[in-house]
Amino acid sequence: MHPATRVSLLFLIAPLVLAAQQPKTRADTAPATRPAVAHDSVRGAVRAIDMHARTLEVTTGIGFAIRVVKLQVPADVPITDKARGQDAPMKLAELKAGDVVRARFGGRPTGFVAYTIERLGKMSTGVEAKQ
Amino acid sequence: MNRCAIVLAALCAIAACQKPPKPGEPLRGLSAAERARFDSGRAVFDSVFTPETGLGPLFNADGCKECHEDPADGGTGDEVERHATAFRAVPPSGMRPCDELAAQGGFVFQNHVTPLLHAALGIDSEPIPAAATAVGRRTTPLILGFGLLDAVPDSEILAYADSDDRDHDGISGRPNRFFDGRLGRFGRKALVPALREFNDGALAAEQGVTTPAVPTEETVAGTPVPAATDPAPDPELSAEKAELLTAFVRLLAPPAPLKMSAEAKHGRDVFAHVGCARCHRPSFTTGDSPIAALRHKEVFAYTDLLLHDMGPDLGDICLALATPTEFRTEPLMGLRFKKQFLHDGRATTVEQAIQQHGGEGGRARDLFSALPAADRAALLAFLKTL
Repeated sequence: MHPATRVSLLFLIAPLVLAAQQPKTRADTAPATRPAVAHDSVRGAVRAIDMHARTLEVTTGIGFAIRVVKLQVPADVPITDKARGQDAPMKLAELKAGDVVRARFGGRPTGFVAYTIERLGKMSTGVEAKQ
Repeated sequence: MNRCAIVLAALCAIAACQKPPKPGEPLRGLSAAERARFDSGRAVFDSVFTPETGLGPLFNADGCKECHEDPADGGTGDEVERHATAFRAVPPSGMRPCDELAAQGGFVFQNHVTPLLHAALGIDSEPIPAAATAVGRRTTPLILGFGLLDAVPDSEILAYADSDDRDHDGISGRPNRFFDGRLGRFGRKALVPALREFNDGALAAEQGVTTPAVPTEETVAGTPVPAATDPAPDPELSAEKAELLTAFVRLLAPPAPLKMSAEAKHGRDVFAHVGCARCHRPSFTTGDSPIAALRHKEVFAYTDLLLHDMGPDLGDICLALATPTEFRTEPLMGLRFKKQFLHDGRATTVEQAIQQHGGEGGRARDLFSALPAADRAALLAFLKTL
């Protein structure tokens, strides 16, 4: 599989989970292969941070199909800064809008909950595709 | 002359006489397998979707060809769509200056809905949220030759960037970036990094057709479409067909320039002299590619694929790093096939489009306006060969 395709799949499974939470009459006829994702990851730009609610919104997508994934960030979630050095720890409050992050997360009845967050760099200065 | 020499001479003569591809035809030099994929991909490109086969519920067109039709598959069309975003030069704490309104259905707000969605919500198009600070009209770009643009290495594009105008020529040129940090190149604001993503995103955002890469439908102002309005199971187009579609677009030949008259050749010099070529860079060279027809080729696209400030009169939406007044230099290859000009089609002639350049394009515009009539005519004659 082409790397871009692989990344694309990762990006957009998160919204799929959101969509899957909506009642759909066609669900009965959906193919059995539809992914039922409990754990996933997303790479994109920090859109907004709410320190009070400890939530992080990440803008991601493919081409003109843009999506926002909202993550709850419990206090014990490891946040690391790859841009500063391998696994350099950082706080949620240190993340800024426009930072490029990769987050691993899982679905919960209350929404998506982050497991790990890595800051890869900034949109404005660019981040390698491979990172 | 022995028989081999005759055959060789005949082959050389045939090659020399080979006409350049017409619009909608593939690049020359494809292998049989590549040509077969091109032909299969054309069938996907020409598909007309219905709600039962995946169209909508929100959409701008029922197939690629509805818009990209003139003068052939991959060409332009008369459709105009709406993009909307919210820009705040001083953003609220913790926010970027540009909000693509993705959580509210943006930034593409579809012009049409299927009958089922109309019946469910009573809407004829996707409403633009009150939070939008601008709505941009967008015409259909020609996508001929986009496979070659896709094969241009990032380093080639970045080599032209001069974000802070350090050479003081009044032309900056700065890269846009997708949300994951990769360099963008496709779209009027250079948002999209790669052709495959451009196509997969278009299937979802323009036609409402889901794929394994984009498995979810667009929302109506942020609310998922009612399930009963979307009868086709996701993904509505297989990965294989989406790949064939991209193979077709990737292998479409760029429009071959017309033979230049003496006047047009003079116009090419004028084009460079007045400074048009500082943004509309004549050519790029592609990098390595598994497809020989795309490998190390010069593509005469007349763009630098970078963002330039075009002044407040042209400004509309922001997108990722692009401010409302910044636009990617529009490729001029295939210009002769266009009937409306600039990103929103406000100009009906090339000359009008030049006259409406502002910002970084203002100096070239003024120099063009000050040219003797014969030089202006020569420049326009050159552009009509592209």
